[in-house]
Amino acid sequence: MMDPSVKTRIPSDGEPSRILAYWSPDDVVAVWNNLAKGGTEIERAPQSPGAAHLRAAWLGPPSAPRLRRVAPLEQVDGYGVFTFPYGPISMGVPEAGRFDVRTYGERVLDISPEVGFKARRILSSVAGLTIEDAALRIERLAGPFSAAHVSAFLAATESAAGRGISAREAWIRALAQELQRIYNHIHVVARVAEAASQNVGLAQAHALAEDVLRLMGSTFGHRWLFGAFLPGGPPTRLGPDDRVALAGTLGRLSKEFERLWSTFQTSRTFLDRIQTTCGVSREETLRWGAVGPTLRATGVAWDDRLRSPVPPYTDLFLPLATESSGDALGRVLVRVLEVRSSFLLLEQMLERWPASGSTQLPASEAIAPGRGVARVESPSGDLVYDVSVHDGRVGRVSARTASDANWPLFALGMRDAVFTDFHFAWESFGILFAETDR
Amino acid sequence: MDAFSILLPIAVASFFVGATLSVVDRRWAYGASLVGAALLVLVAIRVIVVGSVTGGGWSGPFGEPEGLSMDPLSAFFALAAGGVWIATSTYSIYYDDRPSPLLALTYAVTLGSIALLLTASSFLLFLVGWEAMTLGSFGMILQASGRPMRVFSAAFVFLAFGEASTLFVFLAVAGLRVASGTFAMVPVALSVPLAGFVFVSGLIGFGLKMGVAPFHMSEWLPIAHSSAPSNASAVLSSTLTLAGAYGLFRLISVLPTPPVWWGGVMLSIGAISALLGALFASVSEHSKGLPAYSTIENNGLILVALGVALVARSESLDVLYVFALFAAFYQALAHAVAKTALFLSAGYVEHATHTFDLNVVRGRAKDDAREAMIGAIVAPLSLAAAPPLAGFVSEWMILEALFQSFRFSPPAMQFVGLLAGAAVALAAGLVLVAMVKYIAFSTLWRPSAVEAGDRPPGLGTVLVALAGTIAAIGIAAPWILRFLTPSVSAFAHLPVTAPVSGLLLIPQGWSIVSGSPFGILSPPAVPIGLGVGALLGLVYYGMGRNRVTRRTVPWMAGSAPGVPGETYGSFGYSTGIRVMLRSVLRTREVRARSGPVTRAELLTPVAYNVELEVLDPFKVFYDALVRFATATSAAMKQGIMPGRIGRYLAYLLVATLVVVVYIALAV
Repeated sequence: MMDPSVKTRIPSDGEPSRILAYWSPDDVVAVWNNLAKGGTEIERAPQSPGAAHLRAAWLGPPSAPRLRRVAPLEQVDGYGVFTFPYGPISMGVPEAGRFDVRTYGERVLDISPEVGFKARRILSSVAGLTIEDAALRIERLAGPFSAAHVSAFLAATESAAGRGISAREAWIRALAQELQRIYNHIHVVARVAEAASQNVGLAQAHALAEDVLRLMGSTFGHRWLFGAFLPGGPPTRLGPDDRVALAGTLGRLSKEFERLWSTFQTSRTFLDRIQTTCGVSREETLRWGAVGPTLRATGVAWDDRLRSPVPPYTDLFLPLATESSGDALGRVLVRVLEVRSSFLLLEQMLERWPASGSTQLPASEAIAPGRGVARVESPSGDLVYDVSVHDGRVGRVSARTASDANWPLFALGMRDAVFTDFHFAWESFGILFAETDR
Repeated sequence: MDAFSILLPIAVASFFVGATLSVVDRRWAYGASLVGAALLVLVAIRVIVVGSVTGGGWSGPFGEPEGLSMDPLSAFFALAAGGVWIATSTYSIYYDDRPSPLLALTYAVTLGSIALLLTASSFLLFLVGWEAMTLGSFGMILQASGRPMRVFSAAFVFLAFGEASTLFVFLAVAGLRVASGTFAMVPVALSVPLAGFVFVSGLIGFGLKMGVAPFHMSEWLPIAHSSAPSNASAVLSSTLTLAGAYGLFRLISVLPTPPVWWGGVMLSIGAISALLGALFASVSEHSKGLPAYSTIENNGLILVALGVALVARSESLDVLYVFALFAAFYQALAHAVAKTALFLSAGYVEHATHTFDLNVVRGRAKDDAREAMIGAIVAPLSLAAAPPLAGFVSEWMILEALFQSFRFSPPAMQFVGLLAGAAVALAAGLVLVAMVKYIAFSTLWRPSAVEAGDRPPGLGTVLVALAGTIAAIGIAAPWILRFLTPSVSAFAHLPVTAPVSGLLLIPQGWSIVSGSPFGILSPPAVPIGLGVGALLGLVYYGMGRNRVTRRTVPWMAGSAPGVPGETYGSFGYSTGIRVMLRSVLRTREVRARSGPVTRAELLTPVAYNVELEVLDPFKVFYDALVRFATATSAAMKQGIMPGRIGRYLAYLLVATLVVVVYIALAV
């Protein structure tokens, strides 16, 4: 039987016990263990409709059937109602994923994302590998979020092994994550602009995103940061002159982004298409365990970098971005604010870059012998890794990604929308099929 | 007296003889109707080519001569109606396999009554035919299948609108009689107010029968609600409304030069009807309701053309006047033929699938029905104004006439013409949606499901003949316009010439010109151009080396194809219109939970049903009117009729006094 106190030890943000995605690693493990033994306690937890979803997405033991459908919570029927299959290979669905849309034409009555077309089994394939070799695979799990994934994975292994890292390593990971956050947020703005046929803005946003990718390439040796975090990786050679140059480039990109966004702000076509589109309420995001910009766009002030901070975030000023509308515009606005805050973070980092031979940070506590959990705020929200390490080799790896958590919100928001809203809605969530088909 | 003078009464009598013989065998009724229709066509052609025919006469109840006659104006309508009846009667011989002869009897009576009113030499006999037609049609609708209360309700709605129509037509005829002292169909000099009264009464009376807005309930409701037999639907929708058009044409032809507002009113009503009819056709899922709404649209187009003609006449724009008249005549002809084919094909769909629901019909048919499919595709294409078919030519002519509304001198009338043009163009687009839907979901069946012998054997031939006629009316339009010149001339009481000419390489007389000059169209050149294009394609195909036909399953976005229920239905096809035009259609979504819901609900799927409804605002008005009338009637019954003799006598006294005072004032 699960310890009932689990429900009372959840971090509070004025929404006690309701933010399912933010249960502490201890709680999550307790629940997981309980479920693995066949318990069903989580289903009886109050206000936890997302429990089944989370259980299937993350907590489910490896032997459990693969998650195929996400959140089909309503069965709608009626005259002329039929299922319209959208994807896996259709215009507007950039990855191999399929949506079953229940509709009587034009209006979406219910949408059920269906994942699992690419059974890549990356997480299960790393068992038995060295941590370095495993990291090379983990960072390829979802290319645009590679920094977040590999950082969370490495942090979990370090926790499991009780190994601390140098402050400089932690700062390098944060530098990479913030650069990648900027890229992803600009990319989302570009994709939304593409859906609204804002072709000039689209081209400029893609060009800006490409500049950020090239900057990552020149700084880390790879535009998707592959291999950048291994011992002896390129950033260890980030000298003072390099940092000055990097700061200069970032300043230019920041100005270009502001100019670009002011252009979008003056386009009613762009704003009209995303305002009130695919809205979700604060109650829904809390109930379903939404994370990242999806959660913050409904006014919930939660960001891992502030709520469970690790160095260097403990030492830097980070304004928290929130909006209250909960619609696609709200999510885009949160991302725009976060691009600004990331530029600000990067500026602070480069000014206060730790010298080589910097202090060694203590390892975070393992949740069980040889097993560690770490969480990172990825561009689309909270990302958690649960890794066991034995004799320097990786054992079992589980992950709960931001995409896992946000699927139900997309499905909820799309209800009663029209087909033409699909792309705006989809892009604004920043969900990656790759994060679920892992 | 020539042979045609004898054939005319024989033609009319044939229908009534057939009605009587239906008691012996229902096929006699259809056979006699076929003979009557053929004779009517024969006489009509003779009248248009040579001149009027008078057949028989007698002294009427008011001492005036009554009898049958046909002038080029009535000959045009008799030709269209008779041609349609040849098809419907042939079809009915195979279609009607009921044990009761009532459908055959009422069918023949309806046709005979229409023939009578088309050949009546006076308005009095016309009225007799008009009323008999209403009663005959009422009887036909009563023969519908379905729940008895629903059938009765639909039939009585028809009767109510029909009697209201008779009342207004009677008022118009009475007005004419008061002014001229005769029922004869001759031009009458009327005072301006009386002419206005006659015009408005006639427009309402005949408009009711044509089902134009705001009386369109009289058109679609009996057909769709009662699911009237297909032969009856064809007659109701094509020739009953044609009779309404004839009445209007005949009435206007005897009235003096119209003031400009007549045309403006007609133009406005026509444009609104066209738009409403097209809009509701595009969102109808009933295999007969959709064509019925399309009839409202087409009758609206006739009114539009006639409206332009009347305005042009009052403005002395002679070229436009004649062109718009030709457009109105052509529209009536094109619609009658195409709509008949459409209803007969709907009959086949019903026969084969036992449903009227387009959302259900799809994917069920035999592949030996190809000849039936030809008609069932050509007819809606014509109604959607696809070249080179009849509907294309008439729609082009109407739009060309509307384009010239800039010639009207009153700015208000220019504005009305502008709005009407926009409405007609929008209606054309919506009808395209409706007809593509009809073809896709009722006609382009997959070969499966229906058992052999389900298809009425005569249907294929009839539909192929009608399809050929539709194509011929379209392609041979310049010659048909010339042929119809006497009819237009008889309406206008002027010698007119058909608006045909030539241009560049197109020979003289092969093109229709809409002005002097304005627009030009050569209907025969369209199929020639298409044919040359097809020939070039064939030649190119013949030159190719790898003439391999590849067949593959449709791409379903990477999913397994052919999953049942994963394709668009007819409802989904037009839901875009329901959603976009929700403010006009009063679209409303009704949801009802159908599954159990508990507190742990959100882990359990919630089942619910959803219905998307559209609402005709006019039907809301009529429903309210019916409720008011029923309530008033009940109150009268309870308050005056029962029990208290004193109160009832007082009511009789007051009513008598009112009538006496009215008569005294009128005299």
